[in-house]
Amino acid sequence: MNELVEIKNLNLIYQSIDSETTALQDINLTISNQEFIAIVGPSGCGKTTILSIIAGLLKASSGSVMVAKKTPNPKDNLCGYMFQRDNLLPWRNIEKNIYFGLEIKHLNTKERKDYALFLAEKYGLKDFLKKHPSELSGGMRQRVALIRTLALKPELLLLDEPFSALDYQTRLELCDHIFDIIKKEKKTAILVTHDIQEAISMADRIVVLTSRPGTIKAIHETKFPTTMTPFERRKTDKAKKLFDIIWQEIQNEKQKKI
Amino acid sequence: MKNKRKFSKSHYDYLKKYRTKKILILLTQIIILVAFLLLWELLTKYEIISSFFFSSPSKIAETIGEMFRSGELIYHSKITLYETLIGFAIATGIGFIVAFILWYSDFLRRVLEPYLVVLNSLPKIALGPIIIIWFGAGSKAIIFMCILIVIIVTIMNIMNSFVGCDKQLIALSKSLGANKFQIFFKLILPNSLKDIVATLKINVGLSWIGAIMGEYLVSKAGLGYLLIYGGQVFNLNLVMTSTVILCVLACVMYFAVALFEKLMNKYYHS
Repeated sequence: MNELVEIKNLNLIYQSIDSETTALQDINLTISNQEFIAIVGPSGCGKTTILSIIAGLLKASSGSVMVAKKTPNPKDNLCGYMFQRDNLLPWRNIEKNIYFGLEIKHLNTKERKDYALFLAEKYGLKDFLKKHPSELSGGMRQRVALIRTLALKPELLLLDEPFSALDYQTRLELCDHIFDIIKKEKKTAILVTHDIQEAISMADRIVVLTSRPGTIKAIHETKFPTTMTPFERRKTDKAKKLFDIIWQEIQNEKQKKI
Repeated sequence: MKNKRKFSKSHYDYLKKYRTKKILILLTQIIILVAFLLLWELLTKYEIISSFFFSSPSKIAETIGEMFRSGELIYHSKITLYETLIGFAIATGIGFIVAFILWYSDFLRRVLEPYLVVLNSLPKIALGPIIIIWFGAGSKAIIFMCILIVIIVTIMNIMNSFVGCDKQLIALSKSLGANKFQIFFKLILPNSLKDIVATLKINVGLSWIGAIMGEYLVSKAGLGYLLIYGGQVFNLNLVMTSTVILCVLACVMYFAVALFEKLMNKYYHS
């Protein structure tokens, strides 16, 4: 197994004028290539913080994080970060929104642009390239955001609750869709979510965090056959059992807090 | 109608209704203007209101004609227009650059904020005597007054717009490894375009105020000078005429900014 992400004894402390908050404490996690990891936990447990550190947006207070054996830096083209909101630029049309990442990274060559267009076409956005974000539905906009990310050919996708702003129907559809894209393009992914079912349906391993300061409480392997779609996974008994276990774990954490 | 699709009858009805409404609005606007001028003309003609105090449209038109023939119209308008445009350009330009610097440096912004607030609330006309002593009684002093009035508002408006950019969009750019200049040119600037144009529109008005105020203080020529002079010799006809010319010039400048807005929108919205 080749490891893509190695987190060792990671601690993160947020400083503010009148307090000091330990957000993450002693996190150890190794993620291999093409693995799909989900991180769940009670609100405010530092799920997003982990992603920010892996993306190189935040510096760890102590401990080490290595992505492909290097200290993460957003200037490297290793991680693709997908946010809860699609963050499309309203003044650009879809095509130019897809090129935004390429422009920032000075990678807007003909070849890369063609690849981006190829992705857009492949995933059903061909007829919308000249439209503006406001003319698209939420699910489509999030798909545009994904293609903007994939156009950079990142090794690792960081998904920060990318479905939570969508309605239920769209969420399930897009879940399948994005899962399919990630598997086909052979990417590694870390998904942060509130939605336990979503985590179970997509991930190979699920990391459950404790409430603040966030530490790893448990790691569950889902072990579904690789051919199953997230939608099919949701309906299995195994998913239901796993849901109960994780639900209880998070519930216990919440009570501890009170 | 870019694509020649056939639309339903209700769509054509809708379009017709839309156009009719548009024409009706324009027509009403014209009627109000004509009615106002006509009423003014008639009331002064039959001396229901004094034509000495209120002048009249025909007299104003006559004066404009006279001034045009004598070259006075062009002469005075040119001077005021020159002062306004220079003041507008310098204040907007420097204001924009300062706003950029204050956006770039959080430290400077926090240091200078109270000074900006004080300068903004200070009535700039109060600095009149100082300006006259520093710059002498000429165009320079007037342009400086104009800049003073325009620049603070420009800095505050544009800076606030820069700083107020959606934090999530900035986070996205940072996650892509964007540097501060990339963030500025690809994100902040297009995002603030609306506010910048709105500031330009405000600046049109303010720079005219600045120039006229400056001329009230020190000038020997210009439309502001004509207004003051006309007032002093009780030539209200001259005062009204100068006001009308000012109105027209300010309108032209406003539409120039509106045109700029259209061009910018075309450039960025694709």
